[in-house]
Amino acid sequence: MIKIENLHKSYPMGKDSLHVLKGLNLHIKEGEFVSIMGSSGSGKSTLLNIVGLLDVHDEGNYYLNGQLIENLDEKKAAVLRNKFLGFVFQSFNLITYKTALENVALPLYYKGVGRKERQKTALEYLEKVGLKDWAGHLPSELSGGQKQRVAIARALVTQPKVVLADEPTGALDSTTSNSVMEMLKEINREGMTVFVITHEEEIAEETDRIVRLKDGVIISDELTNKKATV
Amino acid sequence: MFDRDIWAEIFHSIKKNKLRTFLTGFSVAWGIFILVLLLASVNGMKNGFTSQFNDDATNSIYIRTSVTTMAYDGFEAYRAIQFTNRDIEYIKGNFKDEVEYITPRFSNGVTARYKKETGRYPVRAVSPSHQYIEKTLIQSGRFLNDNDINNKLKVVVIGRKIKEDLFEDEDPLGKTLIVNNSTFRIIGVFTDEGNDREERFLYFPVTTMQRLYSNTDKISMILLTYNPKFSFAEAINFSETLEIVLKRRHKIHPDDQGAIYLNNNAEGFSDVTNFTNMLNYISVGVGLLILLAGIIGIGNILVFIIKERTKEIGIRKALGARPAQIINLVILESVFITTISGFGGMLFAMGLIAIVGPNIKSDAFANPSVELSTIIIATVILVVAGVLAGLIPAIKAAKVRPIVALNSD
Repeated sequence: MIKIENLHKSYPMGKDSLHVLKGLNLHIKEGEFVSIMGSSGSGKSTLLNIVGLLDVHDEGNYYLNGQLIENLDEKKAAVLRNKFLGFVFQSFNLITYKTALENVALPLYYKGVGRKERQKTALEYLEKVGLKDWAGHLPSELSGGQKQRVAIARALVTQPKVVLADEPTGALDSTTSNSVMEMLKEINREGMTVFVITHEEEIAEETDRIVRLKDGVIISDELTNKKATV
Repeated sequence: MFDRDIWAEIFHSIKKNKLRTFLTGFSVAWGIFILVLLLASVNGMKNGFTSQFNDDATNSIYIRTSVTTMAYDGFEAYRAIQFTNRDIEYIKGNFKDEVEYITPRFSNGVTARYKKETGRYPVRAVSPSHQYIEKTLIQSGRFLNDNDINNKLKVVVIGRKIKEDLFEDEDPLGKTLIVNNSTFRIIGVFTDEGNDREERFLYFPVTTMQRLYSNTDKISMILLTYNPKFSFAEAINFSETLEIVLKRRHKIHPDDQGAIYLNNNAEGFSDVTNFTNMLNYISVGVGLLILLAGIIGIGNILVFIIKERTKEIGIRKALGARPAQIINLVILESVFITTISGFGGMLFAMGLIAIVGPNIKSDAFANPSVELSTIIIATVILVVAGVLAGLIPAIKAAKVRPIVALNSD
């Protein structure tokens, strides 16, 4: 599903440049539940941005769903994001003046789905995350956990190939964190590839495979006990 | 473009930022308001000028004679030129299609007396066509007719001022007026839009007057109106032809500028038209400049809005919004605000004109109004302005990088 070969990325910092990713190789198959672990500055967010087509890499190859990503202009990137990727952010990134339902329906709008169809599908996904009754509420009227569930529904609504979650529990307390992780697991059990970025050991433990990143290189890549025992 | 969702987004954004939208719209409304007001005022001035000229028919030509200034064809200079009835017949005969109305005018001054009241008044001895050329309005009775002319009747049409002077409250119709010891029957009273002076004239049949003054056939001047369908160029062309023909007829040097004075109203009228057209251009220019300030204001505010919405735009892009969709959103919002507020300004200006316009009493200003073409042009300007104002902010918005946007708070 995601295949990365010798990936390099550096950011210009004045005269010098900051080499963030130093030749990463990673292969994530369809249906995997992977977490990227690393402290801040390890390059994990950069990796997510490149995988999420929000940023471009300097060197190496990136295949998404078997398709080589190169010469990507804004328009192509937008279409690919809409088609293959669903995002879940640490700060939820819901549009504040839109209701839960409208937020979930937005990716479908950019996909070109008709209005009624959008409402129907969005409501289905809200039901799936247990927030059907909150469909008409604005994000400001929801709790942190509820917001993140709306964001998950929004990430899933286009039926993407991969869900990318950037510190999905970073802004939540431990109880809500657990329920959000349960939800991601549930999604994964249904066959979705889920790609989580975190710096919390407990969160990473919940996934099937942990890739540890330090100073722009992968220092370990192993299956968790949970997966091994299953 | 007519996507319901885009409009929902635009209304949402406007509703959320009422003050901002109002301030933005106000600058455009103000620009259009001034533009429309300026154009209407110029229109009012134009109407004012036209109505002042309207005292006389706008297609009239007055021909006067004087003395020659150049020797020609065996005649010495300083020979007096005199029109006679035959000149009228000549023009009538040779310019059937060109001439609408024609009349001789024989001017003089007389003493008129009714009972004990006496006054000195100027006289115009004319034929019935004169009424149409000078736009004389009959208040009571009638103007001169062909019967009066043919039978050289001793009848007179008096001005409203003379009636006031000599008759006070009496009805002058059918009364006898003693003019230079001859008696004339009053057949009508006239008014004239021009001024009071015009209303102190006495109109006599030209034939009667010529007979009274030792059976002459002389006339002081010729008045005529040309075919009202003539264009300006045709009118000028006709008056030039007329001048050439009359000079030839009276053996005047073709280059003699003094012997015949031919006064074509079209020339003066064209000067006024040129003047008001110029005013029109100037006011359009000034109005557009004011509007430009409004557009820059909108652009400015939109840039600010985009900055405020950077994060939202980033989210939209992460969710798959294409740059064109973002541009569309921003430009439509801009066009919407400019158009609505522009129409507001236009309606306000038109309302003001409708209320104030009729109350303005001035010779130089009448009936200010807005033409349909002005409204159409203003509308086009508004839409174009909206697009221009939105363009730079929209491109800026489309260039927002999703990661940068998502990280900004």
